Amino acid sequence: MIKVKNLHKYFGELYVLKGIDLEVKQGDVIAIIGPSGSGKSTMLHCINRLEEPSDGHIYIDNEDIMAPDCDINAIRQKVGMVFQHFNLFPHKTVLENITLAPSLVKKVSKDEAEKTAYELLEKVGLSDKALSYPNKLSGGQKQRIAIARALAMKPEVILFDEPTSALDPEMIKEVLDVMKELAKEGMTMLIVTHEMGFAKNVANRLIFMDNGKVVEDTEPNEFFNSPKSERAKEFLDKVLNK
Amino acid sequence: MDSYLSVLYNTFMKDERYMLIVNGLMFTLSVTILAAVIGIILGVVLSLMTISDFRPFKHTKSKKLAFLRDFNPLNKLALFYVTVIRGTPTVVQLLILFNLVFTGILEAPVFVVAVIGFGLNSAAYVAEIIRAGIQGLDKGQMEAARALGMSYGQSMRVIIIPQAVKKIMPALVSEFIVLFKETSVVGMIGGNDLTKAAKEIAANSFRAAEPWLLAALIYLLLTTLFTYFMRKVEKRLKESD
Repeated sequence: MIKVKNLHKYFGELYVLKGIDLEVKQGDVIAIIGPSGSGKSTMLHCINRLEEPSDGHIYIDNEDIMAPDCDINAIRQKVGMVFQHFNLFPHKTVLENITLAPSLVKKVSKDEAEKTAYELLEKVGLSDKALSYPNKLSGGQKQRIAIARALAMKPEVILFDEPTSALDPEMIKEVLDVMKELAKEGMTMLIVTHEMGFAKNVANRLIFMDNGKVVEDTEPNEFFNSPKSERAKEFLDKVLNK
Repeated sequence: MDSYLSVLYNTFMKDERYMLIVNGLMFTLSVTILAAVIGIILGVVLSLMTISDFRPFKHTKSKKLAFLRDFNPLNKLALFYVTVIRGTPTVVQLLILFNLVFTGILEAPVFVVAVIGFGLNSAAYVAEIIRAGIQGLDKGQMEAARALGMSYGQSMRVIIIPQAVKKIMPALVSEFIVLFKETSVVGMIGGNDLTKAAKEIAANSFRAAEPWLLAALIYLLLTTLFTYFMRKVEKRLKESD
């Protein structure tokens, strides 16, 4: 479904991604972990070309998204994204946040878009917030709305960029629960996260990145019980013994 | 006291001199408003040029032309314009426009020259205000819009511009007030504005204090009025936040 081949990314002189290879199958729930600065977020941003890759190839449903004639806006309809800082549109109500892209980009009728939006709000448990503005919501609520907004485009895969990192500890669970539900329904998900428990219990694959490279690509249990690389052992030592 | 009233009468009413003030004020206001319209339209264009990601040589493979990869001609052009306008005095710009461009090359009445001159001038400042407003928005807004499949144009139109407008409204009103006051130099090219009217009344009536003070008072009243409206608008914008 997604194929990343030999992906490189420079920010000026800074060499951030040093040849990433990755294949994502439908239904995969992949947790991407690693120290900060290891390139996890950058890789995620390259997959829908929010960051322009410097070199390499990325295929989504066998379409080369770096080809000059690729319609990236059409690709992005299939690839949802959820951000660390939610990035809800503050001048739009919750309902408008969710219906905006479907009506504008997919030309879905207003009624249809609103019907879907209410179903999604029901799903994330925030039906009563439809007409509120984002600044009236807590962090956890905002992130659940952001997930609903991504789902409204009926994507094939959703990229989560540290979805719980900006949340108060008490609100992490409500967001993770929604994500767990999605995983159960078979949604393909790539999740950059620091939630080791979630990575262990929900993901079916775990990718450990360090210094711009994929160091391990394995089963979560195997990774936590018997990491192969020294770097991963060191990392686990630090995060689990804190 | 009676004698002072008669002085005032002589100064402003004799020979219908007050009409100079009325006509001058009309001149000042029309130049300001029309120039502001030009300033806004051209300012928007300039600011969009500045923030555009138009790099025609982005994909060049040639090593020799590598330095052109980040070259953005629209951005450079807008930057040049803003630098020139902000780096030279308004009066000098007006004089150049009046004595060089609109003499010999084109012919136009002073009013038209003034509108164009102040419009071109204001555009540079408006462009900077809008650019700062847009670039001051959270980068995540554009990312979120693009990630949902919206085009650059759609994202700008529906997400970025409406938020930026709210942010820059106060600064735009300030710019309007500055423009309004700045039109007082239009006498240099023969425009009969409010300041020029005061000057003429002073010359004809041999009274210096009253005409100038009256002009100052009128400027002050109007700028206060604009500021008052700005505060109102600002308050309303804050409420919907």
